[in-house]
Amino acid sequence: MAAPQDDSDDGMDEFMEKFKTTTYKNAFSKDNWEEEFDKIPMFMKKAPEEIDSQSYPELACLQAMIHDEDAPPEEQAANLKDEGNEFFKEKNYKKAILSYTAGLNKKCGDQNINTVLLTNRAAAHFHLGNMRSALNDAAAAKKIKPDHLKALIRGAQSCIELRSFAEGVQWCDEGLKIHPTDKKLQELRATADKHKRAAERDSRKAKIKEKKLHGEKEALLAAITDRGIKLFQTSKPRHRESDGEEESSSAALSQLSLDCLSSQEATGARVFLDEQHILHWPVLFLYPEHQQTDFISAFCENDCFVNHLALMFGEELPPWDTDRKYHPQNLQLYFEDEVKDTLYQVKPETLLLKVLQHKRFFVKAGSPSFIVVVKGSPFWEQFSTGKKIRGL
Amino acid sequence: MLSDFEAAELLSFLTPEARPDVKGHTTSYILGLSGNRDGCRFLRTKPDIITALFALTSDPSIAIAKDCYFTLINLSADETLHQVLLTDIKVLQVMLKKVLDPEFVFSDQICSILSNLTRHLKTCKIMFKVLQEDVGVAKLVEIFCAESFNKKAKFHHLGPLLSNLTQLPEARSFMMDKDRCVIQRLFSYTQYQASVVRRGGVVGTLRNCCFDHAHHEWLLSDDVDILPFLMLPLAGPEELTEKENDGLPVDLQYLPEDKKREEDPDIRKMLLETLLLLTATKAGRDIFEKKSVYPIMREFHKWETDVHVTAACEKLVEVLIGDEPEPGMENLLEVDIPEEVEEKLTKADAREQEELEKEQERMKQEEEEEKKKRSDTEGAEKEQEAGLIR
Repeated sequence: MAAPQDDSDDGMDEFMEKFKTTTYKNAFSKDNWEEEFDKIPMFMKKAPEEIDSQSYPELACLQAMIHDEDAPPEEQAANLKDEGNEFFKEKNYKKAILSYTAGLNKKCGDQNINTVLLTNRAAAHFHLGNMRSALNDAAAAKKIKPDHLKALIRGAQSCIELRSFAEGVQWCDEGLKIHPTDKKLQELRATADKHKRAAERDSRKAKIKEKKLHGEKEALLAAITDRGIKLFQTSKPRHRESDGEEESSSAALSQLSLDCLSSQEATGARVFLDEQHILHWPVLFLYPEHQQTDFISAFCENDCFVNHLALMFGEELPPWDTDRKYHPQNLQLYFEDEVKDTLYQVKPETLLLKVLQHKRFFVKAGSPSFIVVVKGSPFWEQFSTGKKIRGL
Repeated sequence: MLSDFEAAELLSFLTPEARPDVKGHTTSYILGLSGNRDGCRFLRTKPDIITALFALTSDPSIAIAKDCYFTLINLSADETLHQVLLTDIKVLQVMLKKVLDPEFVFSDQICSILSNLTRHLKTCKIMFKVLQEDVGVAKLVEIFCAESFNKKAKFHHLGPLLSNLTQLPEARSFMMDKDRCVIQRLFSYTQYQASVVRRGGVVGTLRNCCFDHAHHEWLLSDDVDILPFLMLPLAGPEELTEKENDGLPVDLQYLPEDKKREEDPDIRKMLLETLLLLTATKAGRDIFEKKSVYPIMREFHKWETDVHVTAACEKLVEVLIGDEPEPGMENLLEVDIPEEVEEKLTKADAREQEELEKEQERMKQEEEEEKKKRSDTEGAEKEQEAGLIR
């Protein structure tokens, strides 16, 4: 540095010249001055994530003042409340919750501060989507100060978000007792009430649908049993614990029978009762000679086999019929009684219903199945060996 | 009736210091007196006895207090007694405040007395003022709508009380205050199964309020939504077409098959009258059409058997399916009816009323004949059976 004590100005000029050529120590550079500014607490636009006393010594110092353990609890709580509010303004709700919680943990005797801490924490939870926590905090605030409007509003809002509409109306009614002209409460009450009534409608709708479905199931089962058609029980009865006494026996029975009706076919086709009360069955035709099957999704019970065979084999023979012998007139139909190892022959002119009603016919997995072979073929000779053959 | 001397004697037994058994006999006797018109009229001439009764409602003996309350209920049921009962308002005010006590055991009796005292316009005006100043009608509505404010009282009679109060325009203004939530709280009670008194009171209140057609738009708006609560008691389990269902308010959709209609014909009639009132404005009629009110009424008409209620239903249906009136006549309540026409209409109404009553008589007679016939044959059958058993 130049010696500034002479009276002459020459040293001064020299001194001033230096500024133009040399930069001073610790100067901000053009590139990083913004970064540097951000580190100075006074110029910070937002609080850093972690206040590291190494990089932000001034901020750490300020924070220590807020968290001064020697200050009275009310002061600490109030400071924490302010801190939380700052985080809240920045939409940093998680941090806000931490501050408010710390404030509450001071257990200061000032109920006003505590109410505000709870209500604000409720708001922070609300904005994070933690509706249950928001409701709990609002309720706690309401317990301390039953007339605290913000807590009442937040509580009602949380109930609505939780779809607990009746409770929401209750919160509003409680609030309106104390603040009868508050518009927000009135608005929330109307909203909660509307949603409650819509939810009641939805539940009525679901009940009616279920009843209808149940009715249809019962009608179907009744139609089947009325015709004397037997379903083969493949699965063990499923144990239903939730049913009431009276319901369980008939419901379980029908469920069981319906399980037996479930077809294993990927098409998901199932027996159904049409508007004229006629049954239509999914039917399997098995061709054991070639390990092939045909699936008829809706075989009307009043239809006969001839028509279907004509449809399937009349015009064109299937590709798997390598011997070209599956002409309709050559075909024979059987159903198998596995228990008694008997094959029953079904004349093609027979109606499906007639066959299903046969005393030894059991519908397996919801799909009646029939074996189709060519009359007198070598395969047939082999297949039928050892089995009893009967007519219907 | 009793002589003046005997009355004075009674009075002397009605002091708080009198012997409890004597007091008890006296109050019991007076209760008996109040049970008929002559007794009431007699007591009307003895205001001192009435004052004594009011005082004895605070008697430590529950039986005595009860007798006094029931006596007052009987007295208040007679219109000619209202003036004398209200001579000392302070006494009334003391009784009123007891209703606010959640432990008080005679709250229901007080509500009955209040309800009786508000039936007629003159005393109603006085009562409304007293209620507003001392307790606040808002508080009464709050108590009425609170499920379990008082374990020993049900407050059903606050229903007819509110209904009576709404004879007054100032009471209606209060109920329909847009800056508060008052009348909305009553809506769900139009279907309160447990008490016909409460239900009737609420429906009466709503009907009275609907006379103010300036409030119709607000009442029918989505925020307030009075319509579904008037329709629900009249709706039945019958299924409607999909188009009709879609228009229905949410509360009327998918009603279960065991849905019952309102069983009291007077309440049904009041509901229909209320609905009719709401059709006065064009805006109201439009909303009724949008919300599928007609199909509900159509099914209701098929079900209804009471002639008076059917007549009310038909009046409503006429408006619902009729053509829109010519411009200038859209608000049916405001139309100027020329005198001769008004005369003719009144005469026609009177004739209709006569016919309805004749029809009712005829139906009653038919019913009784049926009953007689049935009991005759039943009697004959019973004799036969008895003969067999012997």
